Amino acid sequence: MKPFSPRPLLTLVAALVMLLFCLVPFGYMVLTSFARQPDYLRKQEGLALTLEHYHDILSAESLHFLDYLRNSLVISGVSAACAVAIAALAAYVLTRLRIPGKGTILFGVLAASLFPQVSLVSYLFKVMNALGWINTYPALILPYIAWVLPLSLWILVSYFAQIPLDLDRAARVDGCSRPQILLRVILPVAAPGIFSTFLLAFIFSFNEFLFALVLTTDYQARTIPVGIALFQGLHGEIPWGRIMAASVFTTLPVVALTLLFQRRIVQGLTRGAVKG
Amino acid sequence: MPSDREFKTALLFLLPLLLTVLAFIAVPVAGTIYDSFFRDVTFLPRRFLGLENYRSLLADRAFYQALLFTLLFTIASVPLEVVLGLVFALILNRPLPARGLLRAAVLIPWAIPAAVSGRAFELIYNFSYGLANYLVLTLGLSDAPVNWLGSSYGAFASLVIADAWRTTPFVAIILLAGLTAIPGDLYRQATIDGAGTLQQFARVTLPLLKPVLMVALLFRTIDALRVFDVVYVITGGGPGGSTNALSLYGYQYFLSGDFGYGSTISVVLFAVALALSILYVRVSGFGRELA
Repeated sequence: MKPFSPRPLLTLVAALVMLLFCLVPFGYMVLTSFARQPDYLRKQEGLALTLEHYHDILSAESLHFLDYLRNSLVISGVSAACAVAIAALAAYVLTRLRIPGKGTILFGVLAASLFPQVSLVSYLFKVMNALGWINTYPALILPYIAWVLPLSLWILVSYFAQIPLDLDRAARVDGCSRPQILLRVILPVAAPGIFSTFLLAFIFSFNEFLFALVLTTDYQARTIPVGIALFQGLHGEIPWGRIMAASVFTTLPVVALTLLFQRRIVQGLTRGAVKG
Repeated sequence: MPSDREFKTALLFLLPLLLTVLAFIAVPVAGTIYDSFFRDVTFLPRRFLGLENYRSLLADRAFYQALLFTLLFTIASVPLEVVLGLVFALILNRPLPARGLLRAAVLIPWAIPAAVSGRAFELIYNFSYGLANYLVLTLGLSDAPVNWLGSSYGAFASLVIADAWRTTPFVAIILLAGLTAIPGDLYRQATIDGAGTLQQFARVTLPLLKPVLMVALLFRTIDALRVFDVVYVITGGGPGGSTNALSLYGYQYFLSGDFGYGSTISVVLFAVALALSILYVRVSGFGRELA
């Protein structure tokens, strides 16, 4: 029999503390979204539960919650899909063809992602304003594609680099052209990688704040993070119940995605970083 | 040398990437640098100023306050997040029940939009009924409720904590990947050589983790320097401008229609970010093996 070691127990306790740290603010968000009043922690009578805040955000059209949500889903979905398509084309070239300046392209694109958003946003505002695109989907989709491209490219390059070149050679012998190889050979093999990349690009676009704040003006294109940040009550008091209900409702899909595809997200995140 | 055909294919495939990055990142950055040399205010005629905006910046107390806050915020939050992230990664790397679920739970703070979790923290820090003061009073850490967002120290600490909550998972996941890449043989060998847990950590784990640690540090530093949404939502730069981050300060000028001065602030911000990135790359040799 092994001697008793306190180590597994300590690990378990540490893991529980970590779990609490990560989940308590989220739990507080959920609890407040169901509370009749946000000050239940101070009150003697304690917590009174209600579904009223969810009912409000889903039915009161003047709050535009569902508009914000739809804008966010469409804008992030289209941005992520375009970014993944563009990155896949480039990653194919960077891992398969012998061309000069590969490193320059990879690092140039990575460096582009290091610019603070605030240094892009005034110029983007002017351009979109001149085009009359402020408060439209393209005003956000185009910058978002550029914004999530570096990440998408790095992840896809590391996935594509793992696919054996023999597959390409065999396809070439069979008379496939380059675009055919990419479409029929590489993409199916790399499908899990493409999916992880799409997920990450989606989450990054979905969470973006500054561009959305500056380039939209109302519910026609405003995304959910900005909508929630600017959520105010009629008489100055903050409608915490509604804000938290909207937050939970918005976060649930992202949290569900995270729980379902945790392995893929982790793979994607770490491929970008560890290989670099 | 590639054949002409291959070269054309390559160019064609790379074109969308290069055009997008050029049009929506490179050109806007160049435009911002260009604008910083002009008086560019809505409804006023545009006028070339040379370095006038930069001179004004040097005499601008609010700018120094924003620069100081941004640097202090970075210095306080990045080491905290990296150390905490390392602890999380070490925990996640141990044999535990429901490891996948645990990892997913740790990812949740990262997956929530910062503006959204920011509002949750705004409520957590609420003076009269927020969770923070409830915990402080219930656990007896203080006799009176803490004025989290009303004092400059409190607001600073509140922002660092909220930011650490949101970004520690990202650091943890990246470091975890670095940890799993360390061959187990090395630990077995170290155990045979009589190295204790702490020694193993210092002699095996840390040195082998260094490249990944450097990546995490670099990304976090850049991100902390350009912090915007957390500050915008939780303190709005207050109280009294004490938590006005550089990004927020620049944004305030754009909002008031002064694009020239706002651009100048942005240029300084990315100059700082660039200088620190170069320093990291120099010190760590990050990317040397790829170049």
